[in-house]
Amino acid sequence: MAYSDKVLDHYQNPRNVGTLDKNALDVGTGVVGAPECGDVMKLQIKVGDDGRILDAKFKTYGCGSAIASSSLATEWLKGASVDDAAQIKNTQIVEELALPPVKIHCSVLAEDAIKAAIEDWRKKQAARIAASAASHS
Amino acid sequence: MTKAPLLDPFAVFGVEHRLDLEEHALERRYLQLSRELHPDRNRAIGAADCAAVLLRAAEVNDAWRVLRDPWERARALSHILAPGILEQHKSLDPDFLLDAIDLAEQVTLCEPNAVANLQGRIKQQADAIFATLQKAFAAGDHALAAQQIHQSKYLRKALADLETRS
Repeated sequence: MAYSDKVLDHYQNPRNVGTLDKNALDVGTGVVGAPECGDVMKLQIKVGDDGRILDAKFKTYGCGSAIASSSLATEWLKGASVDDAAQIKNTQIVEELALPPVKIHCSVLAEDAIKAAIEDWRKKQAARIAASAASHS
Repeated sequence: MTKAPLLDPFAVFGVEHRLDLEEHALERRYLQLSRELHPDRNRAIGAADCAAVLLRAAEVNDAWRVLRDPWERARALSHILAPGILEQHKSLDPDFLLDAIDLAEQVTLCEPNAVANLQGRIKQQADAIFATLQKAFAAGDHALAAQQIHQSKYLRKALADLETRS
């Protein structure tokens, strides 16, 4: 099976590989796996006070399509608002990377990772608000 | 990607639906079935029977491929005893997945003289998962068994990657 040029480009020059401090309050971490193929994807976002994503990093062990899907996702996430990021669909990744049907699950994994990272960040914000409300009462 | 088995490999071999099967007995059964289905023994029969024998021989080979590997045997058993449970329990614990990333990194960066040591540690972890898997099947806890089968995939992948480096 031939990879598209875009997949090869992300695979050979992955954007935003790395790690953010998963304990930081302004960082959301999503880690998801595809046990059929033994792939694992970690995607992290750092969110500013205005709800914009300042930075995004990923680390993926898996096939070229999984790496390209998460690399592309971090490019889209940077500068986006959290609410817009939550709207990213795997089908957009499929389209951009021209993924064949057998590799669609890689884009699903990336969407799941984005959702998990946002969910983690939102939980931290809810906890922070609850904690500050408790300390003021 | 692993495909769902089309037929029951345990039934093909005529053995019980259980994880703990004696491997020598399984191999003897494989050799016996292979002999019975060998073309040299089935020459006298007609074309239609010949096709049936060939099909049956292919089934025996497929079943053997599954049954001889304890992890593939476990996967098949899960499909048979609790259809759909592997699909239902695909989302793994994030802490386990973070460890899986660490492990994949260690494998990538492993110096040649440290391969044996890392292999040993991964095999120990795999043995621990297999022990939990055996208990899960014995207790009829198919959800727990499915999680162990999925987790094992990461360790087996790490071992396979190390194999190509040593």
